[in-house]
Amino acid sequence: MGNALADKVLAGHVPSAARVIRRLEDGDAEGRDALTALYPHSGKAQIIGVTGPPGAGKSTLVDRLITAFRKRDKRVGVIAIDPTSPFSGGAILGDRVRMQSHAADSGVFIRSMATRGQLGGLARAADDATVVLDAMGFDLILIETVGVGQDEVDVIKLAHTTVVVCLPGTGDEVQAIKAGVMEAADLFVLNKADLPGADEAESHLATLLHLEMNDREWERRLVRTVAEKGEGVAELCDAVVAHDVYLRTSDAFTSRSAARARHSLFERLRELALERAIDGIERSEELQHVLGAVTRRETDPYVGAARLWQALKN
Amino acid sequence: MPDGKSVESYVSKREPIEQGTSSDDGADLDANFKRWETETLAPALESAPERKEKFRTQALKWDVNRLYSPRDLEAIDFDFNRDVGFPGEFPYTRGTDPNGYRSRLWTMAQVTGFGTGEDWATRADYMLEQGLDGLIIEYDLPTTNGLDSDHPLAAGEVGRAGVAIDSLEDMERALSFDFSKLKHLTSVCNGPQPVNLAMIIAATEKKGIDPASFTLQMPNAILIEYTCVGRYIYPPEHGLRVATDVIEYTIRNQPHWVPIAVVSAQLYAARANPVQELAFGFSIAMEYLDSVLERGLTIDEVAPYFSFITGVDMDFFEAIGKLRAYRKVWARLLTERYGAKSEASLRLKLMSSPGTMSMTLQQPLNNISRLSMQMLSCVLGGGAQTMTSPLHDEAHALPSEEAIAVGAAIQNIVAHESGTADTIDPLAGSYYVESMTRRIEDAVMAEIEKIDAMGGALEAIKTGYFQRELAREQFDRNKEIEDGSRKLVGVNHLAKDDEERQIELFALDPGSEQRQIERLEALRKRRDNTKVDAALGRVRAAAESDENLMPSVLEAVKVLATQGEICDVLREAFGVYTPDSLTSGV
Amino acid sequence: MSSSSPSNRPRTIRVLLAKLGLDAHTIGVTVIAKSLRDAGMEVVYSGLKQTPEMVVATAIQEDVDVVGISSLSAAHMNHLPRVIELLKAEGVGDKLIIAGGVIPKEDGETLKAQGVAEVFTMGTETATIVRYIEDWWATR
Repeated sequence: MGNALADKVLAGHVPSAARVIRRLEDGDAEGRDALTALYPHSGKAQIIGVTGPPGAGKSTLVDRLITAFRKRDKRVGVIAIDPTSPFSGGAILGDRVRMQSHAADSGVFIRSMATRGQLGGLARAADDATVVLDAMGFDLILIETVGVGQDEVDVIKLAHTTVVVCLPGTGDEVQAIKAGVMEAADLFVLNKADLPGADEAESHLATLLHLEMNDREWERRLVRTVAEKGEGVAELCDAVVAHDVYLRTSDAFTSRSAARARHSLFERLRELALERAIDGIERSEELQHVLGAVTRRETDPYVGAARLWQALKN
Repeated sequence: MPDGKSVESYVSKREPIEQGTSSDDGADLDANFKRWETETLAPALESAPERKEKFRTQALKWDVNRLYSPRDLEAIDFDFNRDVGFPGEFPYTRGTDPNGYRSRLWTMAQVTGFGTGEDWATRADYMLEQGLDGLIIEYDLPTTNGLDSDHPLAAGEVGRAGVAIDSLEDMERALSFDFSKLKHLTSVCNGPQPVNLAMIIAATEKKGIDPASFTLQMPNAILIEYTCVGRYIYPPEHGLRVATDVIEYTIRNQPHWVPIAVVSAQLYAARANPVQELAFGFSIAMEYLDSVLERGLTIDEVAPYFSFITGVDMDFFEAIGKLRAYRKVWARLLTERYGAKSEASLRLKLMSSPGTMSMTLQQPLNNISRLSMQMLSCVLGGGAQTMTSPLHDEAHALPSEEAIAVGAAIQNIVAHESGTADTIDPLAGSYYVESMTRRIEDAVMAEIEKIDAMGGALEAIKTGYFQRELAREQFDRNKEIEDGSRKLVGVNHLAKDDEERQIELFALDPGSEQRQIERLEALRKRRDNTKVDAALGRVRAAAESDENLMPSVLEAVKVLATQGEICDVLREAFGVYTPDSLTSGV
Repeated sequence: MSSSSPSNRPRTIRVLLAKLGLDAHTIGVTVIAKSLRDAGMEVVYSGLKQTPEMVVATAIQEDVDVVGISSLSAAHMNHLPRVIELLKAEGVGDKLIIAGGVIPKEDGETLKAQGVAEVFTMGTETATIVRYIEDWWATR
């Protein structure tokens, strides 16, 4: 028996796809069932993470990239991430304001996502959303991250191609980029390249390109852009495509996909294990004993956790 | 006395207070203050506790003391000559006109705009007949956004929020009122200001009106639009370039006109408090100043062309302090930062608009009282060379003729019946007013320095600083009305539960939009389109070079290129601006 | 599409706040966006100069539960009925559609007859709007 929702998604029904993404975001069974049916149809799209410090102009750049890719007849999905308020749990999601010229284009699907403040939750929701969009037939999926916090690094792990956007500045361009992101970067963009200090920034970054090569049959490159004016966007587009070609013609695509699959699998396993463990432990009598002991400082949390685990296994 | 008793018997019989030799004797003042607090005030407070826990000013939320005394002047190291001085002289605290309002009253203006050009001209004549000598022309949303009346986004908006002007012919119709009565015309256009200016130049030329016979004032306030109004077109740097072209052209070719009005009143309308209004407004002004100075003009050639438009609200003393500080800060910035020397540079040109933001939908007649009080604070603050009165039934409807008449009367009643215009800066020396003035001045200068550190107003706009500050004020102001901590009569105090909040949108003649569109289409067929294309080509070339846009735009306007067509050429050259939600304040 | 029963209802209410046409008054949407966020909702804001097509596409992609249109010009009578029409045509007419701003009584009546659930005129307390949405959500 097929999954009705999944069938609609595969047929390109946008409201259904949107509903599935929502369900998955909530960790809902209905969403997971649809995902099971969709998963075999995913794995084709190029997933591009666009990250960088706040103010770098990512949203504008993404907007211009969408235009460029649409001209090349590519269907583009976008996941735009904004922070959830730690106080209320609500969020104002305004990234898509800059991309709204594409709102009514059926070849573009933009989904705003709140970080929701759960460790790992964002990456899972974004990961699941890419599966849906991938299965639906989008050729490229751009994930634009907030640019702060662990979420950024986690989301980057989802991408095949990582684009790091920097600005000319006081030399801090490099420091501003988180270590984990730097290693993962495949392409660097120096945006607002018409500002003073662009040449210096470019040379700073250029030295990095050659230092940090790990892979590396892929030569990292730097593209200068002035996103607002659309300058350099075509070159960036070409670079993204070139990376995709490289991935698919080498074994990098498969190995990255394998790494993603492993990461996704282990993340789900971790969540599942945690969920089950906590559920089990909450209901056990051992919990009160251990809790009391730790509170009275008779036992430390490490030993306490091991004891609970033992009790759970029995 | 009416009951036959003598005046003396009415004077309370008290023992004369033991005092030192002069009433400014510090020790005695403090002693007296303490004595008063314990002996006179305390018992009174016991039987009648204060109405509020905290008394604060309306916008700035500064503590309002029970009373002010010479102590407060000492605290600010008050010096009459330095801080107040004389009217018409630095620092202009007492006013920019040496004789206040004793020789010339302010120009009395009102704003209106709706329908077609000829609709506006009819209304203009009516307003001039009511004793007004200044007019402010507002344009409809398509026009202020640089779109023609037949653009898809224009549907339903043509001639609604203001006059629809697509071509020079529309402008000629709008200006076909009795110019002889007009002293001052403010043309509220921002994004498409060059087109607007070109049309006014061409129209007045055709009608044989001497440009020196009236003052045209153009807000040209595009940086304010990015901050809080939203009628921008091109990205900020290009918006600034376009505005600078208008300013430079006017200085060189139309020296009687005022090519820039920093409409800090819009910041106020977006809930900026007086300190934010002045600091953001002046930072924006300096961005324009710097931009024009790069064209090779000197500060004293440029500064006299700068004007400002402010709004005042209900807090009487905040308003007065703000107006006095406004003049001081401008004069200080120009001398301290630009080394300006001429009086014309240092004398602030200000238009004040009483309380657009304090009018209520409920019990609209109350707004007449509000307007009167605010008008009064404008006069007492030496507010302005020009004042406008918004209309008491305004709330988004077309003002009725009655409202226009009442508004004009308010200005005249204050001018001729209250006596407040007969002496200059009468509240100078008031312990409260001088403290307020200075405190605002200091806070404004500090905030300007903060904006400087960010890189100036343009940077503050691009990074969203102004917008975020305003968004916060908007949220807070709304909250305080919702939670009742700020009383608004008719809304959350003495409100009538069963009062229907009547909103009337101006019932624009539904055929009017269609007629305007038809007119536009006919114009496009009638005109010489080869000439139009050629002219638009030259505008494009000017836009892509350093050339001032005005000459080519003027030529295009004369061959009947429409304002949407001209703005589209500029859109192609400059790009279109979409802020992200951070910079839009949401 | 299956409707949600209370037990597996989405966790957060998603709201689209939109402005149609050339109306550039943003104070209302700014204040309401914050109030809704403070009430725990996820608020998608689509910016200025939106056409009905753009708003509807956004509402669908974002799977919002509520579509809130802010109008302080004549936009509502020109564009809002088209928004409703499009939402219905796409089969997502079960979203809560509300409007706010400067909307005269007669226009409000017309809009309600066309499918707008409630019209909140300028000056309505934000708490009222929050409550209205929450009450509607609870009965879904």
